[in-house]
Amino acid sequence: MSHSHDLHPPVAEKFEAKDAGVLPKALLGIGAAGILVSTLGLFVEQWRTQFAHSWLFAFTYFLTICLGCLFWNCLHHATDSEWSVVIRRQVENLASLFPYFALFFVPILVSLGILYKWWNMDPSSEPLLLAKQPYLSKPFFLIRAAAYFIVPSLVALALRRRSIRQDGDGDSAHSFMMRKLGVGGIPAVALSITFTGVDWLMGLDYKWFSTMWGVYLFAGAAGSSMSLIVLVITALKSKGYLKVVNLEHYHTMGKFMLAFTIFWAYIGFSQYMLIWYANIPEETIYFQIRNTGSWWYLNTLLVVGRFFLPFPVLLLQWTKKKPKFLCMVAVWILLMQMVDVYVIVLPALHPGGLSVSPFDISALIGIGGILGWLFFRNLGSAPLFPLRDPRLEGSLKLTN
Amino acid sequence: MAEYKKVYGIGAEFNSAADLLHAAEKVRDEKFTKWDVHTPFPIHGMDAAMGLGKSWLSTPVLIGGAIGTLTAALLTFVPSWFIYPMIVHGKPFNWATLPAFFPIFFELTVLFSAFSTVFALLIMNQLPKWYHPVFNWDRIKKATDDGFFIVIECRDPKFSETKTREFLEGLGGTNVTLIQD
Repeated sequence: MSHSHDLHPPVAEKFEAKDAGVLPKALLGIGAAGILVSTLGLFVEQWRTQFAHSWLFAFTYFLTICLGCLFWNCLHHATDSEWSVVIRRQVENLASLFPYFALFFVPILVSLGILYKWWNMDPSSEPLLLAKQPYLSKPFFLIRAAAYFIVPSLVALALRRRSIRQDGDGDSAHSFMMRKLGVGGIPAVALSITFTGVDWLMGLDYKWFSTMWGVYLFAGAAGSSMSLIVLVITALKSKGYLKVVNLEHYHTMGKFMLAFTIFWAYIGFSQYMLIWYANIPEETIYFQIRNTGSWWYLNTLLVVGRFFLPFPVLLLQWTKKKPKFLCMVAVWILLMQMVDVYVIVLPALHPGGLSVSPFDISALIGIGGILGWLFFRNLGSAPLFPLRDPRLEGSLKLTN
Repeated sequence: MAEYKKVYGIGAEFNSAADLLHAAEKVRDEKFTKWDVHTPFPIHGMDAAMGLGKSWLSTPVLIGGAIGTLTAALLTFVPSWFIYPMIVHGKPFNWATLPAFFPIFFELTVLFSAFSTVFALLIMNQLPKWYHPVFNWDRIKKATDDGFFIVIECRDPKFSETKTREFLEGLGGTNVTLIQD
């Protein structure tokens, strides 16, 4: 048995480009191909509407996961967490992909009139829109969009830069500064998830509203980003890196996956029940579309797959201590997050029933491929865990 | 005339949580089975150091939770579906009204699992208990303040009044005392 007294100070680890093989280039290749195919939809008139919705789906999927990673990064610093020190650099690597989303937002920016009916409507023609006019006005919408990208980007980049600088000088002042950034970053992430959801998703139907929308998106984002972190850590471990991460860390990550599986169900059901019980037409329309025709199958898959399947599985202790098994659950949760975002976005275009388009796939692999390639660039540019964090020892000795 | 007293076990005091943890590992490795540690606060890693397996508390909690869900299902469905089938608030009264009952399912599951946690915990710890021989040792009171103790009971097959005393002293234990029942 290993004990606290025979711990050796860990050695710095840097990612060797050869361990990734052709993967980064392959990701760049299929990403570029995906983007190219999607761009076709931007220029061919009859495909534009489908393209815009498909792109919004793929964009939102990756955006929620990235913002979720930024949330975990901020939470680590705000709560002075010890356990997550060894996995923190990977969370930073994922979260600092956020600035690139501004680039992926461009196709949405040029499709606003297609995606959002209110964009081209005269507010005085519709009392419901007139009442929302102070919020749903074009200049304010664009200012908000800029804020969603700028504020979390600054937090994500500052956290990663500080953390890497601490690797060099070992100054504990960085930890204090990062704690401040973390405490400020949590409301920034919360407001960004809430209002991107309100502007870009809830705005698909300007009549519809739900006060639980932001926290619903957050619940899905936090759980699926933790799943992605588990996958990244396991992939690195399989290449012989991150030996400092042990089963105790997996157990903790698994607990968070379980917590956010329950939280997602709690929030998702609360939102559903309040709307179902109140029975107000402009609210129930959201679930009416998603619970009829072929959408019902996808929506039921979401309820069963995002909660009823992973809940009993993650409830057991051994499932969280078997990295391979936990990875399978993580992949499943990431798939369910995809279904979740799909059921949010696409019924706005196809209220009659499910209709999968090639653009759904091309946008997904386009954005995903480019982000994956960018992630590998982050991976190679810094040590794989914060080497001189004052709380590193506590993280190595984690027991739970 | 010498008074006859039954022996309960031998207790030893340690200086810190870390000393206690390492001593507990040695006691475990000596294959003692009837012994315990007494500390003012939970110590991380003590379960492993004492060689304790996973607690079986989760089983009664799972059973309690399942009974709670079942109770909720009976209390909601039987009246609304069979005894008083009525349309309230324009909502159906058969299985399709399930969403309205989910909060009750949830609350009763939580309530019943919490009850079974508390009661199973009391049973596992054999509480409430009006007398415990370990309190015949004066110093043990420090276990609620700043003392760290190991007590090896005499019903342990490996117990020996002299050898166990030497063993505990060898581990760095101070105030090694014979505790009487």
